[in-house]
Amino acid sequence: MPEMPAEHPNKAAFLARVREALGRTEPILHTPDHAPLKSNQARQEEKVRTVLARVAARRPALCDRLADVAARASWNVHRAATPDRAAEVVADIADGLKARHVVRTAEDVFTRVDVDGALRREGISPAILAAGRARRRSELKPMAFRADLGIVGVAYAIAETASCAVIQRKGVARLASLAPPVLAVVVEADQVLESLDDFFALMRLEHQKGRSHWAPYFNFISGPSRTADIEQTLTIGVHGPGKVHMVLVG
Amino acid sequence: MAQVKSARFKQASEQAVHDPKLQHALAHVMDHFTNARAAAIAADFPEESWESMRERAASIKAHTVERLDYYLDLLDRSVRRNGGHVHFADNAAQASQIVLDIAKANNVKTVIKSKSMVSEEMGINQILEKNHIEPVETDLGEYIIQLAGETPFHIIAPAMHKSRKDVSELFERWLNTAPTEDITRLCVIARDALREKFAIADMGISGANFVVAETGTVCIVTNEGNGRMTTSAPRIHVAIAGMEKILPAIEDLALFLRLLPRSATGQRITSYNAFISGPRNPSDEDGPEEFHLILVDNGRLNLLRDEVLRESLQCIRCGACLNHCPVYRNVGGHAYGWVYSGPIGAIVTPPMTGMEAAKDLPYASTLCGACRDVCPVKIDIPRLLLHLRHQAAEGDGKHGPVVGRLERAFIGRWRKAMRNRQAMESGARLARLFQGPFARGGRIRRVPLPLVGNWTKSRDLPALARKSFVASWQERQARRVKGGEAR
Amino acid sequence: MQVLEAQGVEVDVPAGQTCCGQVAFNGGFRAEAAEVARHFLDVFGDAERIVVPSGSCAAMIKVYYQELFADDSDTLDRAKAVGEKTYELTDYLVNMLGVTETGSSAEGLVTYHDSCHTLRELHLKSEPRTLIEGVQGAELQEMEASDTCCGFGGLFSVKFPAISEAIMEQKLAHIAESGAGTVVATDCGCLMHLRGAMARRGLKVKALHIAQLLAGSGAEGA
Repeated sequence: MPEMPAEHPNKAAFLARVREALGRTEPILHTPDHAPLKSNQARQEEKVRTVLARVAARRPALCDRLADVAARASWNVHRAATPDRAAEVVADIADGLKARHVVRTAEDVFTRVDVDGALRREGISPAILAAGRARRRSELKPMAFRADLGIVGVAYAIAETASCAVIQRKGVARLASLAPPVLAVVVEADQVLESLDDFFALMRLEHQKGRSHWAPYFNFISGPSRTADIEQTLTIGVHGPGKVHMVLVG
Repeated sequence: MAQVKSARFKQASEQAVHDPKLQHALAHVMDHFTNARAAAIAADFPEESWESMRERAASIKAHTVERLDYYLDLLDRSVRRNGGHVHFADNAAQASQIVLDIAKANNVKTVIKSKSMVSEEMGINQILEKNHIEPVETDLGEYIIQLAGETPFHIIAPAMHKSRKDVSELFERWLNTAPTEDITRLCVIARDALREKFAIADMGISGANFVVAETGTVCIVTNEGNGRMTTSAPRIHVAIAGMEKILPAIEDLALFLRLLPRSATGQRITSYNAFISGPRNPSDEDGPEEFHLILVDNGRLNLLRDEVLRESLQCIRCGACLNHCPVYRNVGGHAYGWVYSGPIGAIVTPPMTGMEAAKDLPYASTLCGACRDVCPVKIDIPRLLLHLRHQAAEGDGKHGPVVGRLERAFIGRWRKAMRNRQAMESGARLARLFQGPFARGGRIRRVPLPLVGNWTKSRDLPALARKSFVASWQERQARRVKGGEAR
Repeated sequence: MQVLEAQGVEVDVPAGQTCCGQVAFNGGFRAEAAEVARHFLDVFGDAERIVVPSGSCAAMIKVYYQELFADDSDTLDRAKAVGEKTYELTDYLVNMLGVTETGSSAEGLVTYHDSCHTLRELHLKSEPRTLIEGVQGAELQEMEASDTCCGFGGLFSVKFPAISEAIMEQKLAHIAESGAGTVVATDCGCLMHLRGAMARRGLKVKALHIAQLLAGSGAEGA
């Protein structure tokens, strides 16, 4: 754990000026009346239980909705009935690209979806850089920049926006889902949430549980990298992957 | 701080109106944005639920701004608990110095930047260059205008005024690439050039779309992925945020992430959202080892202090007010002369940079209210503009009036004429006498007078009727009484 | 007047009336605006209802007087009371009198320009259209971007004539594209702007105040 950095010397004076501008002399001492701040950990746990029960009850419909929204957001959606089938789909994507360098992260899902095995069975032997294996960190950045394909798991997928929520934890490299020109994301049915509200309710609970649970970095991938900065013409694949595959298992 | 050229609004806007290339770009892009926004909202929300989302967002932002000292303190403690550094900068110069100090302490040679409007306020690129540090903008549009040596034309489409030919010429000149009119090819050129910078840069500077107080989380919204790249590849990440960017809780993001992309680009969500709460954990595979958040005032206190203008601090910088503003749609962004343009720029520029230089901006609006209808946080833009006009005309308590003698004289005359009917009638008699030589067939084509003369350059003015309406009415009533009839 | 009287309304035109004060208010000259607005309140305070044939004047009285007199509670109360009994003409006809037809007639296609304050301050969108559709022989033909400003904006039109003209040109193009022979609006400001521009350009489209259309008086004066 890093040390807590010191308070900036200008902080007290800065806040005093803000307070003065607001016409107050005294600081506010109690948590203001804003509903999302008022839910303590027990209540938040209750809220999250309700969310999880709801999404479990609606799972097939939510998977359909995710696939539908994703397809309209330029994802290539692949439905795979089993983990083995999902691994084959990923291997087919790599094969189609004639990928020579593949970077893969090390989420739990890959203990069930044996991507490495499927790639070998296809007769492709890409240099797999699975983040999380003992190795120097300095190798990762050039490897990610060189890779033809990135393969990542997700923490959650949000049906409302077809957002794949990737949370950085041990074995999850940020650049694996960003630097390669093609990305394959493996989503398991029980990771699908209904809405942004569901996701942030879960994340708030993570924060309440304390530092060992709270990830300093997470992100949504909701489609291909795109720009319209030249003549408002949509172009894909600027800094991130131009082609994105969502492999939905189950 | 970035130079303020708002005093030239009148000349700059006239040039813009007569610039065919710029007009072509505006005509094309503005409709694209407004249509995309309308379609994106209609696809997912009935009108009343969009309206209630806007109301909730406005009330959350108002709540936060009213308690900004509390939430700044909470934010500071949250970020530091996550291992990040927090800096408080009173003005642009202080903020730039903080950036320089971090860069120097870490021997930084190259800085990559994802979009940050506050860094435009600071003019940080010039300052870094002076200190022999290379700044590289990574948002494609920002990169283009950096090469061109310009400022953003539009808050979310900074290079919308550049054609593919312009871009090709810039790349030819700065990157020695062959000319091309293929936009995909141009994107590839930029991608490759910027990849090299991503690989070597020691520091990434980003803005912040939202900063969550309770968890200390900076949220960055991009489509290209440059925001993620800037905050992932280098060893140091510096996020610069206006002090008003705060939301209380992470669960508030759900609402704001629904409002922002739909209002801005007409997307359900942007391709990427990054949520950064501090430096990476020691066990993480990659990500910056140092995280800094710089919270900047730079004139925002002037908005906060004023109970009416305070509302402008709710702004989430979506650009919808620009896209729907008949004035912006005709003059574009540069005429406004500073960092923020369009209706919101007309509001924040005078208090942030000084009323004297920017006194034309509050008047650069027809007060049509289209901006207010589309604002995702329901800022009552016309009301705020009227408030600023009041300050410009009558002073704000600290500073005297700044509007021209002409308007003052005109309104003085008008007041005298309007305070009672006799004065009005005698004014009208005078005007009838005066209009005589100019009126033809009930219309006036030219008036050799200031202000009114501006009207008759392109429009006729109706001549005053021989008799006023009230006078005609009284005569009619009198005839009726005499004739004892009622129609 | 004819339109209202035809509906059996007893109309009075107070002899002392001048202006609502919007010109000064929009210019930022609130002291001057307040003086004129007080005169308005004096003259119209006793009226049973006040019908205003111009959306921006009605908006000034109904909406912005409250801003103008925010720090003057006595006048504020008077302003609120007057505001509540003030109606823009089409609002009064449709929502108070339940009128959809005034018995007037016209010929051909009529397009409607949403005057900004009628639409966005008073939220009157369907009322003028209902009345236009009720005119015999007239057919409402929507123009593109009918709710976009005409570029007038009062003081704006003389402070920034180049921008004002550019906005107006787009409005004129939309009017022309609609193919309508008549454009109708509810605000005297927009109409002065449009008529001035069309006269200068020699355009044949008639620009009418809605009252003119409803009185069936064609191109004759207000």
